[in-house]
Amino acid sequence: MPATSHDVMPDIELYQPTDEANALELANTLGDDGWIVGGGQDTYGWLKDRNKSPAAMIEIAQIDAWKGVKETADGIEIGAVTTLTDIANHPLVQSKFGLLATAASKVASPQIRNVGTLGGNLNQDARCWYYRRGLDCYRAGGNICYADSPEGLNREHAIFGASRCVAVSPSDTAPALVALDATMVVASVSGERLIPAQDFFVGPDRDIVNMTVLNEGEILTAVRLPNEWANAEYYFEKVADRNVWDFALVNVAAAIKVSGGSITDARIVCGAVECTPRRLEAVENAIRGQQRSEQLADQVAAMSTEGARPLNYNHFKVPLMENLVKRAIRG
Amino acid sequence: MGEIVRYKRDVWGEEVILGVSWDLLWVVAVAVLVLLAAHAIIMAALANKKMDKPSSEGRRVLRHETIDRLFHWVMAASILTLIATGIAPILGLRIAWLNIHWIAGLLLTFVVVFHIIRSLFWQDFKSMILGPKDFGEPFDSAQKPGKYTFEQKGMHWAVTVVVLAVIATGILLFLQIDTPFWDRTNSMAEDTLGLMFLLHGLSTLALVALAATHIYFALRPEKLFYTRSMVSGWISEDEMTANHDTSLWSPKEAD
Repeated sequence: MPATSHDVMPDIELYQPTDEANALELANTLGDDGWIVGGGQDTYGWLKDRNKSPAAMIEIAQIDAWKGVKETADGIEIGAVTTLTDIANHPLVQSKFGLLATAASKVASPQIRNVGTLGGNLNQDARCWYYRRGLDCYRAGGNICYADSPEGLNREHAIFGASRCVAVSPSDTAPALVALDATMVVASVSGERLIPAQDFFVGPDRDIVNMTVLNEGEILTAVRLPNEWANAEYYFEKVADRNVWDFALVNVAAAIKVSGGSITDARIVCGAVECTPRRLEAVENAIRGQQRSEQLADQVAAMSTEGARPLNYNHFKVPLMENLVKRAIRG
Repeated sequence: MGEIVRYKRDVWGEEVILGVSWDLLWVVAVAVLVLLAAHAIIMAALANKKMDKPSSEGRRVLRHETIDRLFHWVMAASILTLIATGIAPILGLRIAWLNIHWIAGLLLTFVVVFHIIRSLFWQDFKSMILGPKDFGEPFDSAQKPGKYTFEQKGMHWAVTVVVLAVIATGILLFLQIDTPFWDRTNSMAEDTLGLMFLLHGLSTLALVALAATHIYFALRPEKLFYTRSMVSGWISEDEMTANHDTSLWSPKEAD
């Protein structure tokens, strides 16, 4: 039976590299046996419940090169182990990319944001409780989705893109980064690769076990935000059962460029409705070139949920998502 | 080698079948490669003792109708697609394989049903029946077959059993997923589902072995004229008389 101890950490090797090369070498050497830890807010639950049993942890929070916010020629670069509190409070992020600052400030609770990192928030595993309970569901290598069974409790689960598994992307910062057209910097001993945020997350149709395209031995080291979307008009809203320490039922992140009252460009992304952040390109295309108004928002909101396939207990997500999109467009 | 069957705990904590162990895929791959390589080496060693190759020139006789050749190649394409898409996630490839897999499976089902009906009512079904006399054929060089050799009949019936097993279990698994025809119900009991995955996996492994063997023999130099006939429909009269008993098989002339 799945363990439910919630007591102490299991016996596990702990590596605490302080430089990039050492961390990447460890990730390469340990492979699947090495669990990458940032702030540990996703990790410790898994390990204390004994539902994941890696042989070793590689704690990367002490690597200064992967910390902090710096200005670049084309925008800013945020180290993956920068805490969410630091991101939410950073003047440069607040002044140019307020959307991300707001999203980071909505994650979980102040205590969690003080230790939780951007990389951890983006890479965290699915929060489906059947999966977290340690059941052998599809995502855990089995051949059934308990949340999608006739008696399954699926209020928080997907209304789009289910392919055997119906878990959703739990991150608040992920929709904001997709809306800002961010680029993920991924490193390994073989070098570095850059991945658009939109392509970083992967759905169960392509990979039912992992939620990102990270391969064994790779580490997300930084996120780059281009100036193209700096100081656009932003909107972020998260609806959850509690105002703190909870995951989104639906969240929306929008970056909209407006000139003379008319929308010249827009990127609108919803989280917690699919296994990946869901970009609403049909809505973006519909509002481009239109006057930003309440009427426009009313007209296009329903487009955001076209193709939605609610489960037994999450039909409420359809009007919720439409209303959040409406609010994002009217500003 | 560890296990053949993988087990898991169901939601009630009971042990149920999860499916076949995919370690067996490597066992099958290595075993097939070794056996086929051994066959190739033995055939190369015996090459000098072989008779002269019959000529492909001269009068041509019809071996496969166009509709049957079309069936064969559609079936081949769908089986290879099913194997590739089924194995991709096991190998860790990130592709959206499931839709391609069930579409190929549906295509295979349709062509197999078509083939069964056609073979029963419009083709010479008896020519494919494997009787006791056929088992002496490999050991008696004087005994020539009718339209199909012992090996061809053996391969056909092995593929028949395995493909029907893949289709039967595949259809039951197909009912568990979303398609344009119905919505998923996810209601099959876990132990039944596990058994279906096990049978589907085992028949897949057998199909991998059979497909590899079939492709190997189709590319053997002494069998290439059969492969050509599956493309163009004909073999030469010389090839027919060298390999078949014309009292048992007397095909019409090819166009």
